[in-house]
Amino acid sequence: MQVSDSQILDGVKSGDRKFFAKLLSICEDDSVRANRLISNLEKRTAHVIGITGSPGVGKSSIINAILDKSVDKKIGVIAIDPSSPFTGGALLGDRIRMQSHATSKNFFIRSFASRGALGGLSPSIFETCDAFETFKVDAVFIETVGVGQSDVEIGNVADTVVVLISPDGGDEVQMMKAGLMEIADFFVINKADNPISKALLSKLRNILEMGKKDVPIFLTNSITGEGIENLTKALDKRFSSILENGLLAQKRQKRVTSHAQSILRKRIDDILQTVKTDQLDLEEIQKAVIRKICGNL
Amino acid sequence: MIKVLIAKPGLDGHDRGAKIIARALRDAGMEVIYTGIRQTPEQIVQTAIDEDVDAIGISILSGAHMKLIPRILELLKENNSNVPIFVGGIIPEEDADKMKKMGIIEVYGPGTPTSVVIEGIKGYFEHASV
Repeated sequence: MQVSDSQILDGVKSGDRKFFAKLLSICEDDSVRANRLISNLEKRTAHVIGITGSPGVGKSSIINAILDKSVDKKIGVIAIDPSSPFTGGALLGDRIRMQSHATSKNFFIRSFASRGALGGLSPSIFETCDAFETFKVDAVFIETVGVGQSDVEIGNVADTVVVLISPDGGDEVQMMKAGLMEIADFFVINKADNPISKALLSKLRNILEMGKKDVPIFLTNSITGEGIENLTKALDKRFSSILENGLLAQKRQKRVTSHAQSILRKRIDDILQTVKTDQLDLEEIQKAVIRKICGNL
Repeated sequence: MIKVLIAKPGLDGHDRGAKIIARALRDAGMEVIYTGIRQTPEQIVQTAIDEDVDAIGISILSGAHMKLIPRILELLKENNSNVPIFVGGIIPEEDADKMKKMGIIEVYGPGTPTSVVIEGIKGYFEHASV
């Protein structure tokens, strides 16, 4: 169904889910139109929370457990799963853990395919976050693709990054490594019913003591709900404190740069697709791309 | 990019068929949302709207299709949505005919090759866009 700009604007302003869903599709398919629409809508700052960690660590389940405890809040969920590098297809299965909330009026869960974006995000992540702020949610949870040690992009998008670790995630040296372990504002050791989780907690504490950044660690069990309230309270507390101390404003300012970078990368990728690379050498390919960018200005 | 919701309403827990279809559509280049077993018509319709999918694939083996499918169609109508629905599962021929009259695009029985389902969905959108 084709919908006009004015239909989308009126629909989103009146809080109509159907038109908000269309706006999210526009974010995915036409970022120029999405950014134009978003700039015509009133935004309210929401706490953007990144939930990241390796595949199967419990990212979807912990968001579900957080939703269970947040019935009085308006929350958006952006659940990202990988696209196939071969067919472009994707199996978006994060929702399966959150389906009990599918009909909740206060929650809006949306699945995204990574569509070639790196870092465990989707190419439209910035537009999508902005769109959720026009829908006046209190918080947006971004569930990244199951990530590896160097997928740190979420740190450029989220106001707060929660890194989930599985009890059997590895020894101290794994936790000393740069990358993912450095971007955490909170650590969560999920699946706390596993006896190894207590041992991991003390190992992680030891490692954190060696550094300068004080990162709180939470032990949770998403199935029983154990530890979830501590986490949600800490998230709320952090949001008010970063609002107050100016860290949020600073992060949002930096996010504009990251957003511009993401748009430029996408444009270069698109142009590169149109250049006949098989007839050119490395230098000529680069010149052809730069010429096309300059020609488009 | 075609975005499809694969959903299993009702109480039967046999989702191998739904999973095979979800996987085949993924390999055919579609974005497939899989929501698992025991979904209510309300959950399915709300998910289809929030996810803004292009099509819904419903898998039913329980025999309750003549209750569940009309309810899903009714809810879609209430939400002014005309998203096309494809059904797969154990469906007697006479019921399949009735469902098509209600507006279901196609009904696939046991043993249908996945290529037929893929072509059915792709074909629908090729015709729809012409």
